[in-house]
Amino acid sequence: MSTQEQDNRLELLQGTLDLLILRTLIFGSQHGQGIARAILQTSDEELLVEHGALYPALQRLEERGLISAKWGISTNNRKARFYSLTPVGRKQLVKETTKWNRLTAAIGRILESEEV
Amino acid sequence: MPGLRWIRFNSFRQKRKPGDFGAEIEAHLQLEKDRLREEGLNDEDAGGAARLAFGNVTHAQERLYESGRRLWWDHFWQDIRYALRMLRKNPGFTIVAVLTLALGIGANTAIFSVIESVLFRPLPFSNPDQILRVYSTQNGNRVDAPGGPSPMDMRDFAQSNHSFEKMAVYDTWRKNVSFASGENRPEQMRVGLVPGAYFEILDVKPIMGRVFTEDESWVGKNYVAAISAQVWTNRFARDREILGRKIYINDEPYTIVAVMPNVIPEWMDQDSTNGDHSAVQIWTPFGFADALGDLWTEAGRRGRGWYSLGRIKSGVSMEQAQGDLATLAAGLAAEHPADRGIGVALEKLSDSRASNMRPMLLLLMGAVTLILLIACVNLANLLLARNSVRERELAMRAALGAMRGRLVCQLLAETLLLSIIGGAVGLLLALLGVASLSKMRPELMPQLASLGVNWRVLLFTIGASLMTSLIFGLGPAAAGARLNLVETLKLGSRSGTAGSGAQRMRNVLVVTEVAMSLMLLVGASLLIQSVARLEHQPLGIRQDHLMKGHFYLPGVRYPNPSAITRFCDQFADRLRATPGIVEATVTTIFPPTNGWKQMLGIPEHPASRIQDIPSAEFGLTDAHFLKTFGIPLIRGRNFSETDNATTPPVALISQELERMYYSTEDAIGRRIHIGPPQLLQIPPGAIITDSADVTIVGVIGNFRNNGLAAPPEPQIIVLYSQHPLVNYGFKDVVVRAASDPHALTPEITRELHTLDSDMPFAQVKTIDELIEQQAGSHRFTTALLALFAAAGLMLATVGIYGVVSFLVAQRKRELAIRVAVGASVAEVLWLVLKQGLQMALVGASIGLVGVWAAQKLLNGLLFGISAVDPVTFAAAAGFLLSVVMMACWVPARRASRVDPCVALRAE
Repeated sequence: MSTQEQDNRLELLQGTLDLLILRTLIFGSQHGQGIARAILQTSDEELLVEHGALYPALQRLEERGLISAKWGISTNNRKARFYSLTPVGRKQLVKETTKWNRLTAAIGRILESEEV
Repeated sequence: MPGLRWIRFNSFRQKRKPGDFGAEIEAHLQLEKDRLREEGLNDEDAGGAARLAFGNVTHAQERLYESGRRLWWDHFWQDIRYALRMLRKNPGFTIVAVLTLALGIGANTAIFSVIESVLFRPLPFSNPDQILRVYSTQNGNRVDAPGGPSPMDMRDFAQSNHSFEKMAVYDTWRKNVSFASGENRPEQMRVGLVPGAYFEILDVKPIMGRVFTEDESWVGKNYVAAISAQVWTNRFARDREILGRKIYINDEPYTIVAVMPNVIPEWMDQDSTNGDHSAVQIWTPFGFADALGDLWTEAGRRGRGWYSLGRIKSGVSMEQAQGDLATLAAGLAAEHPADRGIGVALEKLSDSRASNMRPMLLLLMGAVTLILLIACVNLANLLLARNSVRERELAMRAALGAMRGRLVCQLLAETLLLSIIGGAVGLLLALLGVASLSKMRPELMPQLASLGVNWRVLLFTIGASLMTSLIFGLGPAAAGARLNLVETLKLGSRSGTAGSGAQRMRNVLVVTEVAMSLMLLVGASLLIQSVARLEHQPLGIRQDHLMKGHFYLPGVRYPNPSAITRFCDQFADRLRATPGIVEATVTTIFPPTNGWKQMLGIPEHPASRIQDIPSAEFGLTDAHFLKTFGIPLIRGRNFSETDNATTPPVALISQELERMYYSTEDAIGRRIHIGPPQLLQIPPGAIITDSADVTIVGVIGNFRNNGLAAPPEPQIIVLYSQHPLVNYGFKDVVVRAASDPHALTPEITRELHTLDSDMPFAQVKTIDELIEQQAGSHRFTTALLALFAAAGLMLATVGIYGVVSFLVAQRKRELAIRVAVGASVAEVLWLVLKQGLQMALVGASIGLVGVWAAQKLLNGLLFGISAVDPVTFAAAAGFLLSVVMMACWVPARRASRVDPCVALRAE
């Protein structure tokens, strides 16, 4: 049922989806489908988000107060639920981004040294 | 269930509705489709691709939903709804379980509430355990109720003891009380004659004013009164200026010196001998200006049987106080002839309440506990039986992936729901029960007036049944953990038996149930028989159409015995002339209780020791006593109108008296001395008719004079007109009517008021009512016990029926095979009946042994029947067995009709 076989895209690491959603919303409010598209496009079509998995994540973030949501109208005149970053979410994004950068840098160093 | 949804919606308002998730997912799919179409896909492909990219829509929706709310709450409601559905689907099981629970909880809560309020609730006084009753004893038995020592003895105790802070004797009398001079007719009220120490011992402080001083106990200084707050409110409208006002007691003015709070419980000063249960609302000092003469002389030592109270010093034990007083009593006995053979006994005031009801209440307590046990056993049985059927269902659920926790939760929900419903119905029963109990016999248990359901008791009983249902309801869930799914499912498809362990358990439960209900049955039938015997006890009189009433001639207006005699004779004459009245007599005694015992000096029966002194019930009447009561004259002559104050005093004695003291010689014509014989050296002129020598003129039939349950005591009757010393103002009139005696009350009152318009006519009762009242407490308990026995029997029947029909259902296949291979209907029937019979027989034997063991408790409550009456035992056991057989018959018949083809195919 997954889309793996049709694409050779990367699957998301556990726990990174939240960070990507927050990052995507920094440019303004967006609905779920828009977020999924944005992640795909911004990652040069490398990252695939299973759309169904996106919504529980959104729900989780909303409950934690990192994003807020309200129903609105999309650019092509469809009703959609729009999500936007809350101030808390913004702070969380900065924190998580720093953490991620340190993590990837550290992992990168190890992997490179292995390569040699 | 709109109600439930409403609750859920409101308590989670901030959460999203499931529809909202759906809409969002729908919107997503639309947007994705739009997008894909833009990229050039056709409509159909775009939809498919969007769906593909989304993954499992339902799964996502579920995950969204689950993340959005508290799952346990949802599961909880789900379980409750499921449980409700289960209960609704098995109405038989539900109704039986709920009724079982309700019966156990309701009956226990009601009875224990009563018992707590009657026997165990702390007294409303400070340090109530220090307050004691002091009794005089003779040959180890208490003297006549209320049983306190004589005032002189008590005074000596109070002066010389080291254990008591204060001691007091007191009394209550019916007197004519009016609250304003000449304004309204006086009423008869019970007046407490108490020293100030009475209030000090109870530690009851006046709302206003002061308690009586010691001085005021002296005759002449005693014209002060204390009134209760209730009288103050009802009669004086809480007048703040009440102190110093006067009330009139027996036409004499008493100055109000105190208003006392309404804290003294009514039962404390009840007069149980004549069934007077009205509360004492007015108190005057313990000093007498009445015909009884002076209490504070050596002669007064003999007058025992007062009310008594004492408060022991803190730190002194009851045993110490008892030892202290016993030493003093021995000293008094050595010093005063009147105190020879007299001992002393103590009892906590709190233990003295409901003293005559106590064994009955304890019996009821035992009975109702049996009911609770039976109810619990029944519940256990029901749950066991049902759960063994459900083991298959549970195994199936487990096989389909249900977690153990969820299975436990589900069973828990069902059990809880049952308990809650049962508890609610039980509470309703308890409320009804308590209300009707306190209404049924308020005069027997005056404390019941303030009775409510005891919440602690309710919680306990609900807790007990909850425990039962948890233990037996969750058993299979616990077993489910260890359940071998395949085995259970396989086994289930064959027979559904839960294994022999559960079966043995059920058998034990049924046996217990039968045993307990047989005990109830035997106890109830024994009591019913004894009440029947008690009430139909021949009294020795003609009981029909008799009615009595009480009046009191105050000393102020009737200063001498001849005035009293004149009034009584006139009154009785007028009544005899009244149409509708067949006969009338003025008397101090009437069956079935007399209450005035008198020592006798019988020359033919000399006594050298105090125990050997003859004594008899003593009564003062007029010449119409025998005729009015229909008591037969055996020999000699009756009193006649010509016997009067100027002729030699005469007496009638009962056959019992003659038998005891005149066995060889004829009593007629013998002289008898009313009062203690010479050996006691009591100075003459004291309380009783010491100088009264009478001649026996007749022997009369025995009649009940010592209560319904006791055989007639020896009786001696004299004419009040011939005994001025004891011709007191308190008298009863007894009339025999031609028809309903109650209809005559206005006539009698009118005749009384013609003679004296200020005289109250009180305590009007027919003899039948008196008897009923005497048997009343027995009858009351018996009715309750019979009710419990019926309830127990019902529960046991239901339990046995349930188990046997369950067994039959389980053995259907086996029975079908038996029928198929040629077993007859009778054989199958017997097979099933045998199983029930075995359990019933074992249970019945255990039950009979139980009654045998409890006979000591029962014996004291029975009258005219043994606690191990073989007929009752056999009848009860036989009855129970036949009921059990009937309970087995229905499923047995069902089993015998099993069509082997259908039964075997159904499996």
